[in-house]
Amino acid sequence: MAILEEPIKGIKEVKNYINGEWVDSKGKIVDVVNPATGKVMGKCPVSTKEEINAAVEAAKAAFPDWRRTTPLARTRVLFRLKALLEENFEEVSRIQTMEHGKCIDESRGETRRGIENVEVSCGIPTLMQGYYSEDIASGIDEWVIPSPLGVFGIIGPFNFPFMIPLWSAPYAVATGNTIVIKPSSEVPFSQMRLAELAEEAGFPPGVWNVVNGGRTVVDGMLEHKDIVGITFVGSTPTGRDVIYKRCGETGKRVIAQCGAKNFMVVMPDCNVKATVPAMMTSFFGNAGQRCLAGANLLVVGDDNKFYNSFMDEVAGMSSRIKIGYGLDEAIQMGPVRDKEKRDKIMGYIEIGLKEGAKLRLDGRKPKVEGGLPDTCFVGPTIFENVTPKMRIGSEEIFGPVMSVLRAKTLDEAIQICNDNPFGNGHAIFTQNGRSARDFQYNIVSGNVGINIGIVAPVAFFPFSGMKDSFFGVLHTQGQEAVRFFTESKVIIQRWF
Amino acid sequence: MGISTCSGAISLSREMENESAKFYQELSKRFEKDKELFLTFAKENAKYVTQIERAYYGVITDAIEGCFAFDLNPEDYQVKAAPSKDASYSNALKEALAMEEKILNFYGVAAEQSKHLMADVPRNFTLVAKKRSDRVPKLKALLDQAK
Repeated sequence: MAILEEPIKGIKEVKNYINGEWVDSKGKIVDVVNPATGKVMGKCPVSTKEEINAAVEAAKAAFPDWRRTTPLARTRVLFRLKALLEENFEEVSRIQTMEHGKCIDESRGETRRGIENVEVSCGIPTLMQGYYSEDIASGIDEWVIPSPLGVFGIIGPFNFPFMIPLWSAPYAVATGNTIVIKPSSEVPFSQMRLAELAEEAGFPPGVWNVVNGGRTVVDGMLEHKDIVGITFVGSTPTGRDVIYKRCGETGKRVIAQCGAKNFMVVMPDCNVKATVPAMMTSFFGNAGQRCLAGANLLVVGDDNKFYNSFMDEVAGMSSRIKIGYGLDEAIQMGPVRDKEKRDKIMGYIEIGLKEGAKLRLDGRKPKVEGGLPDTCFVGPTIFENVTPKMRIGSEEIFGPVMSVLRAKTLDEAIQICNDNPFGNGHAIFTQNGRSARDFQYNIVSGNVGINIGIVAPVAFFPFSGMKDSFFGVLHTQGQEAVRFFTESKVIIQRWF
Repeated sequence: MGISTCSGAISLSREMENESAKFYQELSKRFEKDKELFLTFAKENAKYVTQIERAYYGVITDAIEGCFAFDLNPEDYQVKAAPSKDASYSNALKEALAMEEKILNFYGVAAEQSKHLMADVPRNFTLVAKKRSDRVPKLKALLDQAK
């Protein structure tokens, strides 16, 4: 099997992209380490308040002209961006594997979903059409014009460094707004490449800006009076207690997509052959660092024979997962993003043992292919006899740890899911339509899977979320993103 | 190491198509009588690579089981880039037939393993196999003539 060539050679220096210029930051510079190889692959700035302010000012200055640019003309820039992304598809994907650790199939999937959002936003001339009523009163007409608002901030997470900013960015600029993106400083390279391609596509200076960094940049966005709205993907404490709260205080629109503890509910009538691989990708894909990853496997029914044979299949396939560098095409699971995240996951495994769960598969000392340092690797881990009250059964671990619970009936299973504070992406595996219907009707979850282990909505559907998994009203992607990035201006007209 | 990932399966199919294209190009040089047919086969291979890669890159979103969809042994699907040295026309055709059967077997197995998991990829494996299966009677007819 081939090991694919790395697109980044040596040490790459990340710059900010402000007002159409690539500028060095005056902030502290931090190393970015490839989590699989342990090698420093680049340097990323922790930008200053002055730098985020400069980006917002550039975006504000660019807004009037960009807004005045016709939707068709704006769309043509997005069509060029789409073409450039296709041309550079493989490079962009491999960068994600280098910076994040995910396998190449996963990176390509991320690239594709990002591009799909650009494609959907290319429909903006029709997507942002208003509506009109003649004679709402005698001789009076009324209509709505969706209007852009100004400068938006987009705060990206570490787990999908390329795709997640694209849940927002293309819709924001297509509707006539200008943007400032803050990538995660742990994974800045694919956003830097995206900005290079956006520049090549022909966005005017100031329309698309990127400022790298951490809390200072986020605070700068939250405090800035000229930022009208923010989209954020990250943890629930930050999303709820910082982003959502402060956007409320400062009158900004907000989409805060947050944490999760997703349940995969398995019925005894499921198609086992197809369900087991779906469990693998759900729990262990992206090394479990997905807000849509399976976290709790909830097996329904008293049938111990089914339970034992199903778990034998799951544990057997999990134990054979090949772990290593994602650019090796044979590898099925890469590392987690960094040592701190690995240590946190290890901590949860210890907690699970202390709570009395049975460790069916221990991922603490994984076999890593290729002689790589094991600093950031955690193997697939399976706990059985987990209860909903245990911390490993209720808290977000964000790693390749499967907690297995049991419920006597589907009703009990749904209750267990709904008692959990999160509601991001629960799924049921069954061949019974009635069970599936009951599940989708009663479950409190923004995204619901029926025989789908990762319930990731395609670009023309909203990426939803409920309870502690989402704070806001409208969502990213598709029509809801178009509504989020526009204000409904109502015109009522009478002629004398 | 076995192949479990879609990336690995796509690379293996690309390798088989490229190697078998080289095989037919070599065959066309050695046995000019049926040159046109062999060069047509070689050209078709490039189209099959494009067809399968398009399907793969089009559907490989984060929602499918790309890393867990296959269980293939690449050793079972090694294809030679040329007929055996000094092979007679009949023997070279027999080698071509054996190669085609191996490739058809690959597409059948890969499609079956991934049929619930990889959306358009298994469908395109099957479509390519169907198109390729036309070669078998053509090669057999040539073999009958060569006997």
